Amino acid sequence: MIDDLRTLDERLLDLGTSIAFPPTPPLSAMVADRLRQPVRRWGTARPIGRGLALAVAATVLLVGIAAAFGLGLGGLRLTFGPASFSPAPSLLVGPGLGEPTSLGEAREHVQFALRVPELAELDDPDLVYLADPPAGGAATLLYGERAGFPPDSRTGIGLIVTQFRADIGPELFEKLIDSGVRVTATEVNSGAAWWIAGGVHFFFYRDATGRVVETTVRLASDTLIWEEDGVTHRVEGAPSLADAIRVAESLR
Amino acid sequence: MEGRPLTESEWIERARRGDASAFEELVRQHQEIAFRTAYLVVGDADEARDAAQDGFLRAHAALGRFRPGAEFRPWLLRIVANVARNRRRSASRRADLALRAFRDAASGDAAPSPEVLLLAEERRSELLAAINRLQVEDRLIITLRWFLELNEEEMAGVLDCPRGTVKSRLSRATARLRSVLGEAGDD
Repeated sequence: MIDDLRTLDERLLDLGTSIAFPPTPPLSAMVADRLRQPVRRWGTARPIGRGLALAVAATVLLVGIAAAFGLGLGGLRLTFGPASFSPAPSLLVGPGLGEPTSLGEAREHVQFALRVPELAELDDPDLVYLADPPAGGAATLLYGERAGFPPDSRTGIGLIVTQFRADIGPELFEKLIDSGVRVTATEVNSGAAWWIAGGVHFFFYRDATGRVVETTVRLASDTLIWEEDGVTHRVEGAPSLADAIRVAESLR
Repeated sequence: MEGRPLTESEWIERARRGDASAFEELVRQHQEIAFRTAYLVVGDADEARDAAQDGFLRAHAALGRFRPGAEFRPWLLRIVANVARNRRRSASRRADLALRAFRDAASGDAAPSPEVLLLAEERRSELLAAINRLQVEDRLIITLRWFLELNEEEMAGVLDCPRGTVKSRLSRATARLRSVLGEAGDD
């Protein structure tokens, strides 16, 4: 029974002072670290074998997937912290992540012409993931280590190619500038493209319904992004812009 | 000017101009309320940490859209809560709220007896157990109002609803809490 002498309002206020909230993490340092984080480069990683990369792909590839696109990945969590923290990221797979699938099934599902890089050194992707939303579906192709595409030391991923229906434009990149991100205009197949490097990467785009979507996903490495025929493409993990363009222009 | 502590508006203006240390100061000032808000939304400390961090990063990217002179905390909490709500959809864990192990006993001549302290603690436990039995949305609005002492504007931002809706939802949640406590419906 309620205390006769005190209202529920007073009891709740009193209770609030007794709650064992978890200790507040050092967010100011963590955020500052994220904002000042230098560009992480591929290629400096300790080499690991392709077999190992694939063996652990079921867990580590999620970093790459999250880096590749953010919309609808409610089931995925990446834990970032300052460099002094444990480097092991915490990963969860949930229903919003999308499903591992085959290239054929992904092609049947997405509402656009899914293309695959046709570079001799890449061959078929090791894994294909399909997510829906975003509207029209999103397909992600993951490659382990390949010649010229060394694996990331943390994820074992050599290359990620993501495609989904969306509209991007230079005005949307203006928001990236304040985050310490460098955006360099370039071309893919004679069309506009952007090379996004450094800092904390946020990603803005218009989805298939015309809505501007702002994700908080931070990319794991430099990324080439462009739009062709209403489909947004992202190539991540290529060791250089030239390599990224080579991959992009080989899509068939 | 020299030596005068900067106002929040001045920190914000510096951060908008790209001063990273100014934004860091804003984070420091608001990190506890942001983290606790996220914690009440997601019910998990790790998720709350990630949500709060993402929220601050998103706020940093959106500073250009912040209206000068506006209240910073409601704006920030809305962003943090938005990230937290998205994470909550996938969160599988939800820790019950708990009391601190021991409340600091008051000191001085008016210090209550151990029996009184024990009784008060039992009543707190009873009330908290009732809150933990509520549906998530009821529990959230009650804890935002009384545990974090957010105002209506802040609660509306966290709950993503109009301010007018906050009152009605709070009223219904309180009624259900009374019901769980086995009380009469009136004050």
